[in-house]
Amino acid sequence: MRIFWLISVLGAVLSLRGVFANDTHTNNWAVLVCTSRFWFNYRHMANVLSMYRTVKRLGIPDSQIILMLSDDVACNSRNLFPGSVFNNADRAIDLYGASVEVDYKGYEVTVENFIRLLTDRWSKDQPKSKRLLTDENSNIFIYMTGHGGEDFLKFQDAEEISSYDIADAFAQMHEKKRYNEIFFMIDTCQANTMYSKFYSPNVLAVGSSRLDESSYSHHSDVEIGVAVIDRFTYYTLEFMESIEKNSTLTLQDLFDSYTFDKVHSHVGVRTDLYERDPSKVLVTDFFGSVQNIVLDDIDQADNAYEDSQESQESSDLPDHILQLAIEKSRDEVTSKKNESKVHIRKATLVDYEDSIAEMSKVSHHKMLLEVRVFLIFMGLLIVYYYSRKR
Amino acid sequence: MSTLGLRKAVAIWFFAVYVFVGVPLWYKLTTIYRAPLPIEHIRSMHENPHTDLHLVIPVYVRSDTYNFPDVHDAIQVQVNELLKSKKGPLTWSLQVLPFESWVNEESDYVVTLALDNFIGYTIPYDSKETIVFFNDESVVANDIPFFVAQTLIEHTFGLEWQHFSESKDVIKETNNNMAISYTPNVHLSISLLTGDGRPVAWDIVPTLEEYFTPLRRFISPLVNFTVDTGIVYYNDLKLGSLSGSDTASWQDLSHTVDLSELSSMNYYSERTVLNLAIVFPGHSAGNLSFINSTSKHDWQSFLVPQWGVLVINKSPLPDSTRLTKDYLTPIIYKFSRELFQLLGLATQAADLSTPYVTIDSFKRLMIIRNLDESTETLWSLVKLVEQFPQMAVPEEVLVNVRKALDLRLQVAELINDPFKGGDAVWNQALLLSNELFRVCEDAFFHKEMVQQNFFPQEHKIAVYLPLLGPLTVIMLSGLVNAFKRKQKEESSAEKDQDVKE
Repeated sequence: MRIFWLISVLGAVLSLRGVFANDTHTNNWAVLVCTSRFWFNYRHMANVLSMYRTVKRLGIPDSQIILMLSDDVACNSRNLFPGSVFNNADRAIDLYGASVEVDYKGYEVTVENFIRLLTDRWSKDQPKSKRLLTDENSNIFIYMTGHGGEDFLKFQDAEEISSYDIADAFAQMHEKKRYNEIFFMIDTCQANTMYSKFYSPNVLAVGSSRLDESSYSHHSDVEIGVAVIDRFTYYTLEFMESIEKNSTLTLQDLFDSYTFDKVHSHVGVRTDLYERDPSKVLVTDFFGSVQNIVLDDIDQADNAYEDSQESQESSDLPDHILQLAIEKSRDEVTSKKNESKVHIRKATLVDYEDSIAEMSKVSHHKMLLEVRVFLIFMGLLIVYYYSRKR
Repeated sequence: MSTLGLRKAVAIWFFAVYVFVGVPLWYKLTTIYRAPLPIEHIRSMHENPHTDLHLVIPVYVRSDTYNFPDVHDAIQVQVNELLKSKKGPLTWSLQVLPFESWVNEESDYVVTLALDNFIGYTIPYDSKETIVFFNDESVVANDIPFFVAQTLIEHTFGLEWQHFSESKDVIKETNNNMAISYTPNVHLSISLLTGDGRPVAWDIVPTLEEYFTPLRRFISPLVNFTVDTGIVYYNDLKLGSLSGSDTASWQDLSHTVDLSELSSMNYYSERTVLNLAIVFPGHSAGNLSFINSTSKHDWQSFLVPQWGVLVINKSPLPDSTRLTKDYLTPIIYKFSRELFQLLGLATQAADLSTPYVTIDSFKRLMIIRNLDESTETLWSLVKLVEQFPQMAVPEEVLVNVRKALDLRLQVAELINDPFKGGDAVWNQALLLSNELFRVCEDAFFHKEMVQQNFFPQEHKIAVYLPLLGPLTVIMLSGLVNAFKRKQKEESSAEKDQDVKE
């Protein structure tokens, strides 16, 4: 019995170790895109703002969240609750109430800008807040919602992005080491087709519905008059509400939480490009920002400072980089002072030499002028003399 | 010429203009410009990454006691043998030369042979000199050259030995998760955070001027720091929630500390930002009992990988406190040591014991890393251009690529020269390699290289078909008509002749 108990404890410890094994990423980013506009697509705006609230709650700073949103519902004339956006008919959480930083709004939400954002190809005047400044240690969560079809997603009824475009953009990101891992989530009709063309490594993808299948909205708010959230996002958020920064729930737990009864469509997960087992990947690896914090308990610095205070008058200073830098700086100041003295002497000498040179130049010029005047005068005299003779 | 012949000639003429002038012109004007990149050159650079590089570091040997006329040659032989024993990713060597009067001891590598009772070596903390001690027995046994070679390779140039001779990938090995990726410009944001709104002041400017500015100057050939400071009220990074616990593991801290308000790097022009946050809990939260305060200090320091340093104080600040130099100086001392860990120059296990030598070696490592990364960037660019035939490749990209290849040559010339090796040379090489890195990034991330990427070829046909379709139909039908009419007329003429006959 004791052996069984020991084995189970060991197993639990090992599995926990497995869950925490990945420390390859040091920063988290989120790209949240709502590709729809107009009042009747209220739910898409609410989807994205809910995700925004979640990732922000779990610690991803605003500077590392890129929010692309047409942003035309909060202040829409049809909105009974001006300046507010809700994702539930109970209207418990105002998604727009807290500080929301929309990075791309209105007609800035375009395919071109989205591709530029992923590939970071901008003109030099593009502000840092609107760039995805990721590196090889970044985990990126990409969430897209809108109206789509087989292998495409509409952008504001004007253009569409294809699954190939996103796949190629990811390839470019991988080529330039712009991510450690990507978690791609999409809530749209036939969403699973959108990740079918991915070919870059370390991309995990989840979609709300498979080919020839629609994604549905969850419920409507009678007073708002339109659907306020989509089913897939609703149940994702329901799961996320139980997550805190110290949660040990994994992405597999999230995937297991989706059922056909809830979502009314077949949620798809693509793991073949992803190296890790989703059951060992914490949800907070993508949805939050959990910083590794290491205690620095070496007292060498303290001792160095104490010693330096004690031995300020003696020349025997302790080995500390700051002490070395201060010493070097003092030496430089002293040598500069000496040099400047020499410079002053040299400068006066140079000035003196210059003045001599200047004087000689001036006198030379004067002499030339005198000779010229003398010659002209002599010439005139000779001419006068000969004219008188004739 | 008959009317029919004229008509035929005109039709042919129009068609010829259409085919030989119009179509090529249309093709030319609608073709995406793709600058001819030196693809083969870049491919060969990628396949044989270090063939043009042979890093040579000159070292000058002098002897204080005995006169060894040919010791440098003997050391050179031993150094070469030692380096041959391990083949790493980069060829590198030392050029051992006799000490001359013009050698600058501060900037060049000097080995001093000193007679002593034992055999040993030392690298002083404040210089680049390597002092090798020997005794008379070692002279008799002729051990000095080997011992000097070993000291130089394994200790003075330990970093090079580790990265160039042992590891396989210079780039990967130089990065660890604690340190930021090397960049010549780093911003340092120093904040004082307090959990409540009680007024607080700090003497940060005089403290930094006295203690941190010399360090900034000292390290400026490697990294340029820009600094800003600020006080943040009503923010204790949520540490107040830990006030009740006597012990806090790194997991508790990781899950509690909220750095999101301090992580906004958007306000600085530098790409990389490091932080130093000095945090005081609010009065409502009370003391943080998990902080082990010592007799010296009431705070503990924590490193956050690639982010910076957190200095967490045990007790809240009293009303209207002024934090003086006495409080701030030990923090700056500690932070400066940690800064080297965050820059990748030291690790928590191994401290910076020989700063001059380590900084110099780090410069060389970064030069090679920049060269490797820029080659990788150029290779990625080539792959990208080959993968997307519809993508535009502007002239500026070609200019940048050429500039990059030229810069690489300049860097190679500097580091390959066996007689160049002072501080100025390594600084210059690092500067050029940083520029090379930047130019390659500019080439890869050119903003025009995205516009046509998602613009399919059939769009071009769709746009031009309404204009060119009718034109083509008229041309072709006109030409066919002209020929048909001729045939008809010829056949009718033949018929007329037959009837006459």
